[in-house]
Amino acid sequence: MKLLLRLAAKSAWNRRFTLGLMLLAIALSTTMLLGIERVRHEVRAGFSQSVSGTDLVVGARTSPIQLMLYAIFRIGGATNNMGWDSAQALARNPAVAWTIPISLGDSHRGFPVLATNGDYFTHFRYGGGQALRLAQGQPFAGVFDAVLGADVADKLHYKLGDVIILAHGMGGMGLTQHADKPFKVVGILARTGTPVDRTVHIGLDGMQAIHLDWEGGAPLPGVHIPAEFVKKFNLTPTSITAVLVGLKSRARVFALQRDIADGDGFKEPLMAVLPGVALDQLWDVVGIGENALLVVSGMVVVVGLAGLVAAILASLGERRRELAILRSVGARPLDVLLLLSIEGLGVMLAGVVTGLLLLSALVWALGPLLAQQFGIALQPAWPAAGELQLLLWTVLAGLFASLLPGLRAYRLSLSDGLTPKI
Amino acid sequence: MKNLYWIGGIVAAGLLVGTGVRLMAHHAEAQAAPAPTTPAPQASLPPGAPLAGAVPGVSARADAGSTVPGVAAASSGQYQVGDHLQQSAAVTDKPYQASGKMVNGYQEIAWESLIPKDWDPMAPFKGLKLDQLTDDDPRADAALWKAKKYWKDAPVDASMEGKPVRLPGFVVSLDREGEALKEFLLVPYFGACIHVPPPPANQIIHVRSTKAIKNVRTMDAVWISGVIKVERSDSSMGASSYSMKAVSVEPYQAPDNG
Repeated sequence: MKLLLRLAAKSAWNRRFTLGLMLLAIALSTTMLLGIERVRHEVRAGFSQSVSGTDLVVGARTSPIQLMLYAIFRIGGATNNMGWDSAQALARNPAVAWTIPISLGDSHRGFPVLATNGDYFTHFRYGGGQALRLAQGQPFAGVFDAVLGADVADKLHYKLGDVIILAHGMGGMGLTQHADKPFKVVGILARTGTPVDRTVHIGLDGMQAIHLDWEGGAPLPGVHIPAEFVKKFNLTPTSITAVLVGLKSRARVFALQRDIADGDGFKEPLMAVLPGVALDQLWDVVGIGENALLVVSGMVVVVGLAGLVAAILASLGERRRELAILRSVGARPLDVLLLLSIEGLGVMLAGVVTGLLLLSALVWALGPLLAQQFGIALQPAWPAAGELQLLLWTVLAGLFASLLPGLRAYRLSLSDGLTPKI
Repeated sequence: MKNLYWIGGIVAAGLLVGTGVRLMAHHAEAQAAPAPTTPAPQASLPPGAPLAGAVPGVSARADAGSTVPGVAAASSGQYQVGDHLQQSAAVTDKPYQASGKMVNGYQEIAWESLIPKDWDPMAPFKGLKLDQLTDDDPRADAALWKAKKYWKDAPVDASMEGKPVRLPGFVVSLDREGEALKEFLLVPYFGACIHVPPPPANQIIHVRSTKAIKNVRTMDAVWISGVIKVERSDSSMGASSYSMKAVSVEPYQAPDNG
């Protein structure tokens, strides 16, 4: 057996170029398979980490998934706002323990701006009930104070006391700026690994103040209310995007959801969503796409395997002499079969390991970019149980695939290799 | 010539594998598909019970004797809105009755056991003779409206406190840790959160699991075992509720007949 291993290794080394290419193909397909699996996993974990302890998300009627996406994950935009009086009615409901009003729509250099009040810092929870923590400074107190998420501060190199200018609407550069009413950074939140990191937080009154002279829908020429005069106006918001609601007893959640759906005590039609249920619905929708991706990456692995089999089968032609000589010096047909299977298995194993290394390198190199662009926090990590299972199946499939050329070699007769063909 | 054999062999193997997979999938589907689902249509209920579904107690009584919805479909996950889970095999015509047997020290109970014995869901209709009212009678509507509030604030049974129980229900996700579920509400019938009026407070159990539960999503059917706790809430809210620290959460399987 030891001799066989050595023979297989030496023979493989002799054909290192072809086999190296095969190894690369298998490594790449493994990387793709595992990469998709890992991104899928991370995205799910990241989403469920983002909200905890919130019983209902209340907003204007839209799709539950969409409400969750923009209120919690800052993806997409609000189609409708809800009235401030509804938010207050909700806060007065005897079943409600706390509410966090949030107002979205503006941005700062591509980072979303969230207007809220002090309750956000007291009641908001993420990832298994952890509270938000300020790394530096304090929550906003003045109208033009801002608290930054960890990513915003890191990427844009902001520190306490810096002055930032918000832009109207969401998107990249070139938006209309609220340049006349700059905000001062008074606090920076500790890292959470959730969309909070990518958010600029201001007070609801600040949101109202920067839009005071926008009442015509755009900054009208000649209309300008300087920052120092905004306090003369009523800065109570008229409408907000959504309210996060915490209940005194979680079992009451259906009753309140029903009340809100029926419109009991509200002037406008509203919708209440259970975050956990909405997330499950989201996965039902996304799951189809995820499975399609997995099937495609599975096919890529199959193509890689087919390539491996083809390469070994093709090499049989080159190796007719080699195998025949082995047979003539006493190798049994079984030994030849083993020789070829060992080669296939070896290439497969090496390919899978290379794929793993490649994935780790990619994650290490591109992880920060992914986190910044898409908010997917990938870390180089040992393969999880599910991934190991995938790898095991891949290697097993490789072993079976390499039996095919092995069987062919097994059946080739000794004389076949030694008779010169014309 | 030999190569042709090889190619033929590979194609044949591919076809064989494909057929096998299809057969297996088909077989699984056939097994999963409910053979005789005869849904208990609302129309077949007696006219005096338009309230079935609002309070499980009522619906249980109204449905008893008719065909059993959800039993045939139990293993497939193909539940209809309002379906309950069958608890014991012995009494197939009354699916909501628990066998009461002990499993690892937890006694199997029915959802109805969570309703206090002396509480009458039909109390708001007392003194109202439905058969003597004319159609569109405002008194009937008023009574129904009163009943809705009455059912919503249904009391819990204080004697359930501290009882180790086991019962099946549908999951409504609350909090997850990573991909694992840590906290959820258990409700007695399918679709409880979206399509029909919410179950009363005494038909919801707020479950916190000691272990993280994987691969469970909203409206999956599970068996839970744990000790019931009665949560007293402040008096202004009226209703108290049940909670439970579940020691085991396992996928629901219909009790085998026999």
